[in-house]
This record gives sequence, structure tokens and C-alpha cells, in this order.
Amino acid sequence: MLNVEKLNKTFRTDGGDVHAVRDVTFHAGDGEIVAIIGASGSGKSTLLSLLGLLDAPDAGSIEMNGTQLAHLDAKGRTKYRSRQVGFVFQAFNLIPNLSALENVKLALEFAEWPKEDRDERAQEMLTMVGLGPDKAVRRPNKLSGGEQQRVAIARAFAAQPQLILADEPTGSLDRKTGQKIVELLRNAASAQQTTVLVVTHDEKVAQQADRRLEIEDGVLVEIA
Amino acid sequence: MNALRRGVRNAFRNAMRSVGVVVILAVAIALSISMLIARDAVTSKIDTVRASTGNTITVSPAGFFGGQGGGTPLTTAEVTALLNLKNVTAVQAQLTERLSTSQTNLVTPITAGSLGRQFGGGAFAGAGTSGSTGTFTVPIRVIGTNSPGNSLVGGANGGGTEKLTAGTAFSATSSADVAIVGKDLATKNKLKVGSTFTAWKTTVTVVGIYDAGSTFANADVLMPLATVQRLAGATNQVTGATVVVNDISNVTAVSTAITKELGTKADVTSTEATVASEIAPLNSVKDISTYTLIGAVIGAAIILLLSMLMIVRERRREVGVLKALGATNRSVISQFVAESTTFTVMGAVVGLVGGVILSSPITTALVNASGGTTSSGPGGFIRAGAGGLGSGGSGFTPPTGAGGGFGFRGFRGVGSTLTQLHTSAGWSTLVFALAAAIVIAALGSTVAAATITRIRPAEVLRSE
Repeated sequence: MLNVEKLNKTFRTDGGDVHAVRDVTFHAGDGEIVAIIGASGSGKSTLLSLLGLLDAPDAGSIEMNGTQLAHLDAKGRTKYRSRQVGFVFQAFNLIPNLSALENVKLALEFAEWPKEDRDERAQEMLTMVGLGPDKAVRRPNKLSGGEQQRVAIARAFAAQPQLILADEPTGSLDRKTGQKIVELLRNAASAQQTTVLVVTHDEKVAQQADRRLEIEDGVLVEIA
Repeated sequence: MNALRRGVRNAFRNAMRSVGVVVILAVAIALSISMLIARDAVTSKIDTVRASTGNTITVSPAGFFGGQGGGTPLTTAEVTALLNLKNVTAVQAQLTERLSTSQTNLVTPITAGSLGRQFGGGAFAGAGTSGSTGTFTVPIRVIGTNSPGNSLVGGANGGGTEKLTAGTAFSATSSADVAIVGKDLATKNKLKVGSTFTAWKTTVTVVGIYDAGSTFANADVLMPLATVQRLAGATNQVTGATVVVNDISNVTAVSTAITKELGTKADVTSTEATVASEIAPLNSVKDISTYTLIGAVIGAAIILLLSMLMIVRERRREVGVLKALGATNRSVISQFVAESTTFTVMGAVVGLVGGVILSSPITTALVNASGGTTSSGPGGFIRAGAGGLGSGGSGFTPPTGAGGGFGFRGFRGVGSTLTQLHTSAGWSTLVFALAAAIVIAALGSTVAAATITRIRPAEVLRSE
């Protein structure tokens, strides 16, 4: 269960302060998929960075299953990211000189999974996203965009995190492939009871979520 | 796959760049290794040359040398006082006298020859049995010494190393009427251990016979210093001393101290000053190689530093992703350090081979370039001894050791062999290559590491 209360973040720029996130409050249950939609520059990526502890909020709280996360130190934030959060990016962001399998194992290494289990777990996750052993040994540049995003999803779910943050996961894919990726996210979230926040500006993607939130000028509102 | 393995693997990620970085590093490391080997070779040569000069200083009365000149003898007390100087380990005092035919029944084994007749009419007038050049007889040289052990073992009684072939040496403090005679003198006079001869109207017993390997030295008589002083009426007089210094590096300082102690009474000579000028070009090469070595290592580090900085900046997004996935700064830095170390190790291996191969020609070129004044011809004669008598028919033979140093010390060969350096690479070279690689990798990674710690994943991913 993710509870976010009055989260605020302001950036200082040459043109003055930009209040990217204003008093954001929401909650998301286990296995729930929540879509956050908004225009470019509305603050959705900043919100994702705050929830993924890539950035520290100026004010407010982030609570995950009863644990306060907003004020963890750098070491605590790193540990949280490695074990409790999975990221799926629009540009996939796979490590180019590692195979699909090695990319998935990377997340397991950072989460300090037992070494002897990593190979099996990574293979299992790739199978879950529909990539067989022949694809597992390929490097990202030998995979299609959809396949790369599948690897990214496998990597994100590998360490059994409590929260998946997907930033425009279908942004670089065609509609049909994007549809499959969303289905994959749904299935994985359901299977592992993981909360998934999907940031998107694609209304069709958002409609497949359990709930939809809209962010505009840093203010988050729930769409009925 | 841990961070180190990823780092090693990343080193081969861009083949062209990796080859470029490794080649540049290899050249720098090869240069530094060549310089190290050159420096070692030059240092070894300098040490050899310095060691060959011995750690002795010769003190003789001012104006007196080689049995010629004049001046006033030093006293036993003055010479003994030198033992109190810092870094002086021994002082071997000598009194050289001559026995004319009227003072001894000994007959010299050396024939006068043309040299004897030439000098007999000049410097030796009155020394022999006749001042006439036509009837000149070479006098018997008697050396009073308080260091018969050194003299016999490593001494140089006007040339050659004296080795006791029969009998025993007298003690350093002896004042008995005893003598050790040269082999040729003994043969000529049918002397054996226990035989006697007359000197200054005193019967002297032969206690030993030595062989110095030269006709000149084998015609001498060694006697206790106190005995010669007494018999020759030269009480407390000393015509020369050899001061033994504890280390070659202290020879110059001790020479200065002796000069200060004895003032204008004595001539103080050592080969140190001449050797210093002889090896100055080598020292110059040593300095050049040291600076080049340091420069090459620093240069290699800068090359690696810039390369790694470029690589980190190029992989900024990747670093951000790794951090977003939960990688610690330490883990990411380890990965890049492993990558830079891989470059460096490959460069070190290639550079080590290249450096060893190039070291000899580079060393030769350096020495030739700086040693134009060092390598031609004999180094000239350097005084290493005092006293001694020129005798007809005798040449000068380079003495060795610390025992006496009478006559000249021929120092030819030092200059002519200065350029003949032997370069070799041993374990120390390998250890240096490894150490240099570590230093280069460590220095080369610092800026990359600092850059990595400053990369914030949120900013990197926001710019997506």
C-alpha cells in the first residue's frame, strides 16, 4: 500500500521557482495499476522521481506499507530503490553491452538476491514477459523495441518490488505493441501484487488502469 | 556479474577507442620503463665507478710526493689525530726511507737501466751509492707501517697487491727489528724467514716474505713504523698516511675535514673529486631519466583520466540508470575503476615489453647525447698515493685496495667505459610496471569517480 501525503517539490531556475509538485496526496493499493496522465511539463515525471526516491521532496510524506520513505538518507534511498522499486522507462534504458538475461540479473544483483538464484529468477522473468532462451542471450541492439521493453519489465519486476514506476512505457512503441506491454504490466502486477504507477499521456493506456489521476501544474486530481 | 567484471567487460566495449587508449598508455609506460632501466643502469655504473675509487684518502706532507719534492714530514700525533674525525675508521701511517749501499748489506734486485741513470743523476742524486749517472745503484726502499695486515693483504706498495707467501706479519704496534721483504729482494739476497740483514747498522730479522706481483714492489722492505722511525733517526715522523672512510659517500666530507685539521701542512688527495667530474654526465642522464620517468607516469595518468572522463560523460545516462536501479556510488565507481585498470594493465603489459626492448638503445642514446666529454680516451692519472721512490726500470702499476697507495693510481678506463652500460630488467622493473599501472589507474579514475558521484539519476532520466 502506497500512501502519499501533501508532497511538494520546487525547482529553482533562472526564470524563477517552478513548483513542479504541489500538495500531492493519493494512495494506491497492492496489485493496483494507477495511471497518471498529464501534459508535458505538468510534473508527472517529477512525481515519479519523488516516489522512486531519485529526488527528495521539499515537504510531504511517502509511506510504503507503513514505512516512511521521504526522509531516508542516501544509503537508505539506494537500498529502497534496489529492493522495493522497479523502473520502466520510455527509452527502455537497458545496458547495451549486457544480454537480456544479464540486464535482468543486474536488478537482482543490486537487490542482493542470492547469487545461485539469480540466473533462474532472471530466466523465469524473461519467460513471463514472453522472451525465450534464444532472446535471453541477445543484446538490446538485437531485440525489437517491444522486446526491449519486455526485458525492461522483466528487470523491473525481477526483485519482487512493492512498487513499479513506469514512465511512458509505451511511448516508444507502436499501438499494438504498447497494448501488449500494458497487458504485461497488468499481469505482472496482479501476479506479484505489486502497485504499478504508469505515467502516460496516452488516454487509451490510461483507460486500462484501475484508476486514473491527472496532474496539471503539479496538482494531482483523481478522474472519476 | 559484479561491478568488477562489468568494468573489465566495458573496457572492450568500443574496440577502436580501447586500442587507442591502450596504445597511448603503452607508449607512456614503455617510456617510463625505459627510463627506469636507463636510470638503474646509470646508477649501477655510477656505483661501480665510485666503488672502484675506494674509500680511502691519501695524506702526505705538503710538497712531498713520489719521493720527490720537499717539505716537512707530518708527525705521528698529527696523523693519529685523524682517527678522531667523523666517519674515519682507520688511519694507516707510513714512513718511507731509503737504504743506500752504505746503510745496508742488501742488494737491490732492480737494475738501474737508462731510467735509473736518468733519474739517478737528478732527483735521486745522493740517494744511491753514487751521484754519478754512470754508477748509480737503485736504493732499497724501506716502508715503516703501522698497518702490516692491511698492507700485506690489500696494500699497494708502489704497485701490486702484497700477499704473504712465507712467515708472518709483524704487529701494528711492533717496534722490533723485524722485516717482511719482497720476493725478488729475498731471492737476490738469499733471504728466508729467519734470515737476517743489516740496516742502519742494526741486525734485522726477516719474519715474512711477500709477493706483490711487480718487480718494483717486490724489491721493498716492510718494517714496523716505530722501528723505522728509530733506526732512521726520524722519530715521530710520518711521510704518508692512508685514511679509511666508513663509506664512499663520506670521502669528500672527510677530505675537507682533514684539510681543515692539517691546514697547509699536508696535501690531501682522493679520487672522489675527479670521479665526480667523470660521472657528472651520468648523473645528468640519471636526472633526465628520473624526470622523464615521473613525467611519463603522470602523462599516462592524465591520458587515462581524460579518457575515463570522456567515457563517464558518454555513459552518463547509463550511470543514472544503474543508480536508479539501486547501484551504489561505490559499485558504479568500482566498475569504472576496473575498466580503467584493465586499460592500464593492458598498456602496462605492452609497455613493459616495449620498454625492455627500447631501454638499451634509449640508454645508449641518452648517455651518448650527454656524455660527449666523458667517453674519449684515458681518464688521466689521479694521485692516490704518497711517497714512494721512483726506481730505474720500474713502471707505475695501478694499486688496489686501501693498504698504501704509493705512487700513482692510473685511472684510465673510467672515462672510456662510462658509455658501456649494461641495461637489464629484473623483478624490480616488473614491480615498477605494476605499481605504475596502479598509480596511473588510481589517478586516472579520480575525476571519473568524482563525476560519477555527482550524477543524479533524476536529472539524467528527466532529460529523456
